[in-house]
Order: sequence, then C-alpha cells, then structure tokens
Amino acid sequence: MSNEPVGVLIVGAGASGAAFAWSMAETGTSILCLEQGPWMHQKDYPTNHLDWESRAMGPFATSPNVRNLPYDYPVNEEQSDISPLMYNAVGGSTILWAAHFPRLQPCDFRVKSDDGVAADWPVDYAALEPYFAVNDRMMGIAGLAGDPNYPYHEPPLPPLPLGRGGNLMAEGFEKLGWHWWPSESAIITREYEGRAPCINLGPCTSGCSQGARASTDITYWPVARRKGVEVRTGCRVKEVTVRPDGLADGVLYYAAEGVLQEQKAEIVVLACNGIGTPRLLLNSKSPQHPYGLANSSGLVGKNLMFHPCAMVTGVFDEPLQGRRGPIGCSFWSHEFYRTDLERGFVRGYSLQARRGLGPAQTALWGMSRGSIPWGEGHHEAYDRLYDHNAGLIVIGEDLPEETNTVTLDPELTDSHGIPAPKLNYRLSANSRKMLDHGIERASEALKAAGAVETMADPLMRGAGWHLLGTARMGTDPKTSVVNEWGRAHDVKNLFIIDGSIFVTAGAVNPTSTIQALALYIADRIKQNIEVLFE
Amino acid sequence: MTDTQTPLRDPSFMQALLDLVIPPGRDGRMPGAGSLRLEATVAADIEADDRLGPVVARGLESVRDAALARDPGGFVALSGSERLAVVNGLGAKDGMLMFAIARHLYTAYYQHPRVLEALGEPARPPFPEGFEVEPTDPRLLELLQVRARR
Repeated sequence: MSNEPVGVLIVGAGASGAAFAWSMAETGTSILCLEQGPWMHQKDYPTNHLDWESRAMGPFATSPNVRNLPYDYPVNEEQSDISPLMYNAVGGSTILWAAHFPRLQPCDFRVKSDDGVAADWPVDYAALEPYFAVNDRMMGIAGLAGDPNYPYHEPPLPPLPLGRGGNLMAEGFEKLGWHWWPSESAIITREYEGRAPCINLGPCTSGCSQGARASTDITYWPVARRKGVEVRTGCRVKEVTVRPDGLADGVLYYAAEGVLQEQKAEIVVLACNGIGTPRLLLNSKSPQHPYGLANSSGLVGKNLMFHPCAMVTGVFDEPLQGRRGPIGCSFWSHEFYRTDLERGFVRGYSLQARRGLGPAQTALWGMSRGSIPWGEGHHEAYDRLYDHNAGLIVIGEDLPEETNTVTLDPELTDSHGIPAPKLNYRLSANSRKMLDHGIERASEALKAAGAVETMADPLMRGAGWHLLGTARMGTDPKTSVVNEWGRAHDVKNLFIIDGSIFVTAGAVNPTSTIQALALYIADRIKQNIEVLFE
Repeated sequence: MTDTQTPLRDPSFMQALLDLVIPPGRDGRMPGAGSLRLEATVAADIEADDRLGPVVARGLESVRDAALARDPGGFVALSGSERLAVVNGLGAKDGMLMFAIARHLYTAYYQHPRVLEALGEPARPPFPEGFEVEPTDPRLLELLQVRARR
C-alpha cells in the first residue's frame, strides 16, 4: 500500500463515490477511494441460507446500531423519531437497499418558487437529465417509459412483474382513478452487462445473492477499477487535513491494521452521505476552520431530512404470493405528490406498493402490533396474515429544518475513538398531517382493491434509509455549504457529492438523484479543471 | 432437572414452555414448537440478548418455582391449562417475559423446515432456485399505455 499523493481522493465507496470515480477516471488523473468497510461477496448474503430471515435481522440488519460490525460506526439516535439505516462496504448502502429508483420530479427542484417553503435548488431536472440517463444505463434500471409525471425517458430494461398483490392493488387505484405506475428499480429483468436477471428471491434489503439487484460494487466499481481507480478498504477516515491557506490537502485515516496514516491529495471528495459527511466535516476542526471544515455558514449537520414513512397493510382473503419478488416496490403513485392546501399541509407524498414479508418476519410483525398472539389462537391469527397481506408505504416529503441535526456526540465514539454522530430529529407538524392524510388515502386504496381489513403503522421508526440535507447546495455561502456544483464555498478543492447536498428531499427515494448529481459534479470539475482554484 | 440447571437450559422445561407459546395446530397441520427441538437455539438467542436475556432468566425461575409449588414434578408435570395458569399467575401474559420468549421463538419456529413445509413453502433457501412471480396483468398495462407520455 502506497500513500503517494493522489490527484483525487474520494472518501466513501457507496452510490455517489462509485459513480463519481467512474466518471473522473477518464481524466487519467490518479484516483483513490478510501472505504471503511470491506468488499462483499454474493455467496455470503442471507438468501443463500435457510435462516435468511435471522441473518437479515442480525449481521445484515440495515441499522448499524443493530449490526455493530467492526467496520460500522455507532449513531446516537436517542433523540430522533426515526432510526438511521446505512451500510459500510464497497457499495455502501446499495448493498442493503430495495433498489427503488425514482428520480426527483422537476417540481422538486423549485419548492420555494412553487410553494413558498424551504429553498429552490441551484440546479434543475433539465441539468441533471443527461446524468440520470447515464446512471440508468450503468446501474441497469427496469421500468416502463411514459409516466406522465416525468419528462419522457426510457429505462433500459422492461419493468418488474407486479405480482399477484401488485395486480390486486393496482386495480384499487384504477377504481379510484388515481395515478399509479410500475416502479423504476435498479433490478435487471433480463441479462445485462454480464449480470443475471432477477429470480424473485424477495429480500433485496439484505443483499442480492443473484447479483440482479444493483449495488455499486458490481456496477460502477469494476469498470472504474479497470480504468485505474484504486479502492482501499478497511480505511476509516478520521479527518480532512488542511494547508495553512485553508485548502484541503488530504486526510488522516486508520488503515485496516489500526495505524493512523496520512494521505495527501489535490482534491478531496466526500461521499459519506447525510450522516457520515457532516460527521467528518465536524471532526475536521483546525485553526483555519474552527467550527469544522466548510462550516462558515454554521449549516454543516443542520437541516437533516429523512423521508418519514407510514405503512398501511391490507389483509386480503386470497393468497398473494407476497414474499416472492423484490420487496421494495411494485408500483408507485404520485397522486398526492404536490401541494394542495385544502389538505392542510404543504408539499406531498408518494404511495409505494410493497410486497409481503417472509414467514418469520410476518410472525414478528404480527406480534409487535398485537395481531398474532402466543398460545391459543396463534395459528389462526398467523394464517390470516401470512401471504394474505400487502401494503402501501406513505413516503412523505420532509422539509428542511435547522433544528433537525447531526452533531458530534460528546461521549460516544467508534472503535478508533473518533467521535460518533448524534441525531436530533423530530417529526414536524406538517409531516404528521401529511402522513395522516396518506394513511387515510392508502386505506381507501387497499379497500378498493378488496382488502377486508387495514392496519396502519403511523410512523415507521426503522425507516431512516434516506439521509439528506446536512451540507446543502446553494449559491449563497451564508445559506449553504457547497455551491451549485458541489464545491465547498469555504474550501475550493473540497467537494461533496452525496445526499447531504440535497436542498429539499422530494417524496421519492433519492439514490437515482444522488448518483446523477455525483456524475453532474464530476463533469463540472472536468469542465472547470483549469480554473478550479481561482 | 439438576440442582444447578437453569430453566433456560432445561430441555424438558423449555419444550413444555415452547409448546405453550406455539401449541400444535388443532388440525394437526402445524407442529407444536416443543416438538421441534428448538429449545437450545432459543436459549442461546435469549442468552445473547443483552436487553431481554436477564429478564427472561429471572422470569423463568419464577415460573419454575411457581410450578414446583403446585406439583413436585414441576412445570413438565402440569397439564396445559395448569401451565398457562402458572404463567398467567405471574402476570406474564402481557409482560416482557413471554414477549421476549415469543420474539426469539417465532424467529426459530418459522424458519424450521417442517414449519415451512406445513405453510406450503419450500424448505430451502431462496437462492439459487428463486421463485416465480405472477406477471403484470396485460389489461393493466394496456391502460397505462393509453396514458403514457410520449
């Protein structure tokens, strides 16, 4: 291992770091990516084993606080209404995700102009559109062209089958005359770029043994490495270091053997997402940057946005083959996506049709809500739910609020003694009203589809998949951390390319947009390379 | 049971308790949890549970002692209704003890091959065979094609 200075140093090998590295590789400059986790292997994923559900709740749990693996860092979530989810490996959280792949809608980039809340983005859908398309090809997106809520685009692969439950629920939306559309998913439906198609294993969120569900370790990284990018695993970055003039000059990191190393670079790029990136910036205090790196605005770590979710489950008389097929989403509805003030809240939400749970998870879910008792009546209650339920997830647009934060915990540290992140997050009144409205509409749709009973989880605590907004973009250094192409206002050779730069959250899963932004920023850097530091 | 054996590591005691949590199905389709030799797995999971493990260990000792007070043969010598009465008498029906046992038992029970087969599920890992999924209803697709943006 050499610590020779490099041209571009990327911290984090997940969704954005991989896309960025692949794009930058064509410049021929030396590129190094440091990743605290390991390379993953498909043979190790839970669906290779009969006890796949236990494994998915243990070493492959989506919460780092549950997994508690050596390469995870703890997150203090005691003061948060939602638990953060993530994975640390080459591929990042794309290792354990549902691969639901909607783009932000054009209206999501102009929330202030349209609705007078939050802020507009300094980029728009049109600027990102070419990068959405490139990213769709690289990740292998399945979907149906023509959703009227989007500018026309053609996913490279045909859509996933809705399955029996999806067909049933879609009929409900048809009866009500509500928008619905087969989801775009990063799951290949036929052989593509050397990868085998989806065989409907089910639990995408614990890793795909087939390799049909995209993760950047099997999409972007093999290509980027062939172009000369180095990925160094087991490397946990402690802080970004700076020169006397305040520019970044590299990082300090703990290598796999636990020794602190120094890595110099001309450009430093952070790709650690909405919790890891502000944590690293706040841990990078120096005389030149006494409040943390790139934090002259005081906004690093503020405006944390999740997508608050509620889940409504319908119980049906007929069996639904529920555990078969990608769990994430068979179709989406954007019927209630935009502001209608008569509903009592601003902005809106998506509805996402989910497939069913496995046998053990069904039992635990039923127990947690008191629907499956122990003892007398257990089997009857279980039979009523297993393979007879399908649901709609209400995924709401979280508006940015400075009181929702990522800070450094004064006591909690990771295994290297680096201060851990602490979350302060409370669901807003607007979001609560939004979810309540969504629960009513989802119940209505499920009943229209034939559900004999519906039950609601009003706030899914364990649904903090999307970590956004904590180092947001903008043109004004007083109200944003990075500029319109991801460059830190305070540090001209520091770039942020992950979900932390989102200005607003939209009401859809963010990975497609995160990666399009990373590709967009890479192109801006390439175009401005001669004047980058002026 | 030996003098030093904890209830959690007493196979007979645990089999009787697990059968109380998930009894055999009335129609004979679903096995009782006590018949599946899950006690060691469940005990290990509970012992590894930092939060609930100590609660269960203490609670099971109370169950054992209450059963012994009823019958010198202990919990296994009691009838089903008597076992239930002992557990309910300790206020455990809605408490953390039975929740914690059920939490770990449900996970083990519903991954057991005999249970999967009884549910009509193949007793194999999802990979590599995978599953078939019903295709999208062509009529629904036709409706969408009419609405599609071109």
